Amino acid sequence: MIEEKGYALQIEGLNVWIRGKHIIKGVGLEVPKRRILAVMGPSGSGKSTLLRAINRLIDLIPESRVEGKVLVYGTDVYREDPYRVRRLMGMVFQTPNPFPNMSIYENVAIGPKLNRLVKNKEELDELVKWALEKAMLWDEVKDRLDDPPHRLSGGQQQRLCLARALALKPKLLLLDEPTGNVDPVNAVKIEEALRSLLRDLEITIVLVTHTPHQAVRISDYIAFIYMGELVEFGLTDAIALNPKHELTVKFLRGEV
Amino acid sequence: MDAREIKEKIFLAVVVILSLAAVLPVFHVFLSVIWNGLGVIMKAGPRFLLDVPPAPNAGLGGIAPSLAGTLLLAVLSSLLGIPLSLFAAVFAVEFPDNPLAKGVRVLSKALLEIPSVVVGMLVYAILVVPMGRFSMLAGALALAIMMIPYVTTYVEQALEGVPFTYREAGFALGLSRPKVVFDIMVGIARRGILTGMLIGFAKVLGETAPLLFTLGRDRYNIPLGPLDYGDSISLLIFDYAQTPYANMHQVAWGAALVLTLMFLAVFLISRRFTEEVFL
Repeated sequence: MIEEKGYALQIEGLNVWIRGKHIIKGVGLEVPKRRILAVMGPSGSGKSTLLRAINRLIDLIPESRVEGKVLVYGTDVYREDPYRVRRLMGMVFQTPNPFPNMSIYENVAIGPKLNRLVKNKEELDELVKWALEKAMLWDEVKDRLDDPPHRLSGGQQQRLCLARALALKPKLLLLDEPTGNVDPVNAVKIEEALRSLLRDLEITIVLVTHTPHQAVRISDYIAFIYMGELVEFGLTDAIALNPKHELTVKFLRGEV
Repeated sequence: MDAREIKEKIFLAVVVILSLAAVLPVFHVFLSVIWNGLGVIMKAGPRFLLDVPPAPNAGLGGIAPSLAGTLLLAVLSSLLGIPLSLFAAVFAVEFPDNPLAKGVRVLSKALLEIPSVVVGMLVYAILVVPMGRFSMLAGALALAIMMIPYVTTYVEQALEGVPFTYREAGFALGLSRPKVVFDIMVGIARRGILTGMLIGFAKVLGETAPLLFTLGRDRYNIPLGPLDYGDSISLLIFDYAQTPYANMHQVAWGAALVLTLMFLAVFLISRRFTEEVFL
């Protein structure tokens, strides 16, 4: 495996307010390239907001304000054009949300097509196949690419959304509780897919989860967020074996 | 049978009778149009759709110029009204805090109930008088003004019904706002949008008052250009029902059936769009 130098994601003194409410309070962390960061914390602690501050989806929320610095592979997210910034990243949401009016194929093709990343149909076909393979869905859908996505199970739909994000070849992949609404078998498949992505590609992953088990099982780094504050951040093994903060201990035991 | 059961039976009977009372007039309208109109059309034959209207007490003739006028007006007013409505709705949904967009919202709701004869007067003042002539264009403009608030409101609601998560997914793909709106949101809301357009189209098929001072009522020549005089089926019915001649009353009944069938056709198509399972 090639070791990459430098950080994939750097956050410094990040504060987010929505409608005057302080949601993210002075968060700072750094993730090296080709690693998985798990952001864990109880519901309502600001994990999803943190994720949306990284790719600036937060801009869509009226009366939101962001202070601080976010660097993605060296790009200063809040000093760049938000549309260009978002193209560096892919995102998978909590509830599977494939576009209902498009076929399985079109769902994956839409990103590269509208962003004009491919020259012709052959290239696009190739890219769609590649993305579906990386999302571990190709074998299940290769004979029915023209089907609408609602014919797929919830877990398959979520992997379709993963493929849609991967088709843009993002450097940073953001996942907002991607297994929160899928069955355990599919949850395992998604986790496997993420692991193999990290093995094969130049990609870094930020995964939001409210279950400590998933965080410990899958990640290299853990950030524990509570009430908008970063309580503890470090290597997963260190946090799992030797949490420093009392709140982290409680969360890992399932008490908060 | 105890008292409770009797009460329930009475309640049911009252509901059934009142519902029938509410629906019967509608059936009566349909039946009398079909009853009176069908006889006329059978007697006149295909000529009814291809010929010009008769002179007083001189047979049935046909309604070809008025039929062509109604169809052309609906198409012309849709061409004027629908693109505008689409952009107005997108503007209102995409920039909810913009004062102008708020104005569009309020105005489109207010215009829903505007008296149609006032729209006819307005177009008479701003287009017919300066141009010095009635025209298909003036009629189509009046109809477009009638149609815009309907289509805008429908499209607005269709776009607002698209769950936020699809919008987020679109922006997360790095798409610009126009692409998110026109390539993603419009696609997801397309059935609601099409339904709105068809309802606008159906609405203008039957409008009469906006055409009174705008169209010129030439019902002997098929309009060939936007500056020609024209006629509509609705105006023909309005005029012929008031004449003292029996044959013209019959033409009016036949025309009423043709208009009703056109309306029903559009209505059924729009039903198909809304009924298809949307997921």
